[in-house]
Amino acid sequence: MNTRGIIVGKILLACFALTVLIPIVVILVWSFAARWPWPILLPHSFSLRGLQEIFGGYSGALQVLGSSIVLSLIVALLAVLIGTMTARSLVFYNFYGKKLIELGTILPIIIPSTVFAMGVHVLFIRFGLADNVVGVIIVHLICALPYTIKIMTDVTAAFGGKLEEQASVLGASPLQILKEITLPCLLPGIISSACMAYIISFSQYFLTLIIGGGNVKTFAVMMVPYLQSGDRTIASAYSLVFICSALLVFVIFEKTAKRFTKNGSNYFFV
Amino acid sequence: MKNFRLAPYLLNLPLVILSLIFIAGIVNGLLQSFGLIPDLGLYEFTFKYYLEIFKRPDLLGSIGLSLYISLVSSLLAAVFGVLLSLLIVMTGKAKGLTMNIVKIPIIIPHIVVAFFVIAIFSQNGLLARLMYSLGLISSQTDFPALLYTDNAFGIILAYLWKEIPFVAFFVITIMANISSTLGEAARNLGASQWQTFWHVTLPLCLPSIKNAFLIVFAFSLGAYELPYLLGATMPKALPVQAYIEYMHPDLLHRPYAMALNGIMFFVSLFIVVLYYRLLQQNIRKVNGSE
Amino acid sequence: MKKLYKISVLVLIVLLALSGCSQSSAPNSAQFDENADFDTLVDQARGTTVTFYGWGGDELRNKWLDTTVSQHLKEKYDITLKRVPMDIDQILAKLAGEKQAGTEQGTIDMIWINGENFYSAKQNGFLYGPFTHKLPNFAKYIDQDSPENIYDFGYPIEGYEAPYGKAQVVLVNDSAVTPETPRNTQELLEFVKKYPGKVTYPALPDFTGSAFVRNIIYDIVGYEQFVDMPADKETVKKAIEPALEYLRQLNPYLWNQGKTFPATIGQVENMFADGELVLYMSYEPYVAATRIANGLFKDTVRSFLFDKGTIGNTNYIAVAQNAPNKAGALVVINEIMSPEIQASLYGELKSLPVVDYNKLDEQQKELFDSVDIGPGSIPQDELLAKRLPEMPAHLIPIIEEIWLEEVVGK
Repeated sequence: MNTRGIIVGKILLACFALTVLIPIVVILVWSFAARWPWPILLPHSFSLRGLQEIFGGYSGALQVLGSSIVLSLIVALLAVLIGTMTARSLVFYNFYGKKLIELGTILPIIIPSTVFAMGVHVLFIRFGLADNVVGVIIVHLICALPYTIKIMTDVTAAFGGKLEEQASVLGASPLQILKEITLPCLLPGIISSACMAYIISFSQYFLTLIIGGGNVKTFAVMMVPYLQSGDRTIASAYSLVFICSALLVFVIFEKTAKRFTKNGSNYFFV
Repeated sequence: MKNFRLAPYLLNLPLVILSLIFIAGIVNGLLQSFGLIPDLGLYEFTFKYYLEIFKRPDLLGSIGLSLYISLVSSLLAAVFGVLLSLLIVMTGKAKGLTMNIVKIPIIIPHIVVAFFVIAIFSQNGLLARLMYSLGLISSQTDFPALLYTDNAFGIILAYLWKEIPFVAFFVITIMANISSTLGEAARNLGASQWQTFWHVTLPLCLPSIKNAFLIVFAFSLGAYELPYLLGATMPKALPVQAYIEYMHPDLLHRPYAMALNGIMFFVSLFIVVLYYRLLQQNIRKVNGSE
Repeated sequence: MKKLYKISVLVLIVLLALSGCSQSSAPNSAQFDENADFDTLVDQARGTTVTFYGWGGDELRNKWLDTTVSQHLKEKYDITLKRVPMDIDQILAKLAGEKQAGTEQGTIDMIWINGENFYSAKQNGFLYGPFTHKLPNFAKYIDQDSPENIYDFGYPIEGYEAPYGKAQVVLVNDSAVTPETPRNTQELLEFVKKYPGKVTYPALPDFTGSAFVRNIIYDIVGYEQFVDMPADKETVKKAIEPALEYLRQLNPYLWNQGKTFPATIGQVENMFADGELVLYMSYEPYVAATRIANGLFKDTVRSFLFDKGTIGNTNYIAVAQNAPNKAGALVVINEIMSPEIQASLYGELKSLPVVDYNKLDEQQKELFDSVDIGPGSIPQDELLAKRLPEMPAHLIPIIEEIWLEEVVGK
């Protein structure tokens, strides 16, 4: 791309970055603001209520944050695993029910979680999956799968099977193929899917409450009532912690993945 | 491994099990919309809830509004999302800081997006205050009412803020890959940047773009938070109606909520099937042939 | 494949560990004896955990429950109070599902509930009761003859829920911005004409918006006729027609000319705090005091009432039918009705107490008298003097429907 094009491109990107970052700054400021009336451009008075609520210890917010992160990490791992497996079958094979599965993967996105939650609740109670973490993980998984399947399908299709075939012909064992060829090539997709699945699980509110029955307390469960109540100070404080912790997890995903590619592949990481 | 005939079925096993659970949930939900809720003492299969809803004069308005919001926001998101991906890949920034900035809107819950759309764009918001401090307006009412309007400007804006990065996120994974391999090959053979993009990269990314569009479209059809918080009081988008019915304190109202959800589901399903038919979704490999 | 296998085993182990972690140690309600006297219940409840499910969006209340109340219960009875934030509709859905599945021991002990939700829960058999007769503080400190302790939004309570706190609609504005305090609908009309575009109320069916409209109805056509009105749309519409006409008259002077209304009371509060609106209404009688203390409102903000009165209601605590720790729940509920906790509810939480002042001894009265309720507030006796009863709950959705059809954008 010529230099002028690149400069224009970078300016446009900077504009985009601003549209993303300005709201974040608004949230940041609101975490500490008490009153911010018309027409002033900076808050009139400040308050530490938000920080106290989260770091003050009596609400248990930090412990809940920790366990929520672990829960969503597990969901992400399982979602990527199952997504990769399903994508592989959809791309490389023809089998009965293929069209059905293709159509079926979009369903959890169309159907609001209220319907699904209400419908599946009694079933889960009977199977002992209600009011505990396992049930919650399963329903989070069901919500995250459409995204991971779609991403992994696209990535698997783009990757193709030729390299694997060649390696197999050259005598590599299935494990070697998996480690040296498939995984590195699929890695960008794996990271993207993991991020997507993580955030879907981390943001789940309604399903966690119905299936978890109040026994499974996630960060979202604590945060959402404040978001709904309109208390901007507390809502912003919670949102800020939510965003930062998720970003941190994403960065960790990326760094961990980078350690798995030895010779720095050609493929871009997202 | 490919000759192992059971392989696809084994690979799909976890998904199938989870899908069965999911379908059980939907079926139960549908049964509830037909009045079968044993735990509330409703044992009679009936269409009456659906009939009641069809008699409502605002139903068509709600469906129309939902379709309008979803269509406009998703189309714009797809177009600008692809442009954003292009921008990022072309300037070589498909990693690191830029990508983390792209991920931020994806992380943020919809309610928070509604919050800062109001904080920035309402007649009392930062934009209005900026204009006031520059002397361009003299009171809050001078600033145009951008939110809560019939054209759903606020809602669409909020969706775009989240969905353009989402589409970009989705597509960049593929686009960067293609750009570096096949794109380079094309350029070596003499194609210009633009020709490469239009004839090589874009067509190969099309499945991803279609997937991303479908996801954001389907999602916005069923999501209630943004139309609820940023929309006008009348007409209400369909998911908002369903949500309000669901919150009704009388539990015997539940079938109404489920029936509204049922209608929403059938409308969405119809559009998704139409989409697949029209656009012949085929999963094709890129580096190989089938 | 071996790697996958190893990973899956690891995941399974973590899953099992986590599922073990989330089990709360609830004592067996199988030991719960229906006829045990209160002291036995206190013994049974010692060292146990009691769960309290209710809306989690009020930071002040959450803090009060998590610190003051929890500490008090721990010290006095060695009971651990576990507060669970959950919306009432989800609580009811959970109980419905558990009832259908035949779950004998759920996870919910105490429920913060009132109104139509209470009625739904009671009718469907989700609640344990009657139990208030077992609680010594109920007989000692609660006015048994007060209609609010016999009926909840018109439905007979019959001992299935115990009073927790009281709410009342108040109007709020900033004396430095709007010196007027409209005390009836006529003055309100003049008020909105003087400050066009700066007054509104949340769209029904928001709880507070609905209460505001009902208050207007009461002010114009009185409240007595609604006490036993049938739940028929035509009847209700005819009765409230003058109020509907009034609300339509208000529209052109309201925010956005009454073509659209904010979706939630939270939005209205924020707009008021920002100065976009000059009038606010709330179910929390001391909202001005709490918000001024938090720095959200200016200290010139004050509350006022309509001369004919504003709507008040009581909110309650009920016990789930399949509660795992009924003994503990009863002990906690009893304690919440005690003067000490009620004084703390009044002083810290700034909510109206439910104990009958006349039943208190001198020392206990002192607990309440010494509370400085804070700036901008209306004294308790004035609030109680101008308190109107809620309408029967089955009329409310009808009114909300009529409002949507007859007032919005008209």
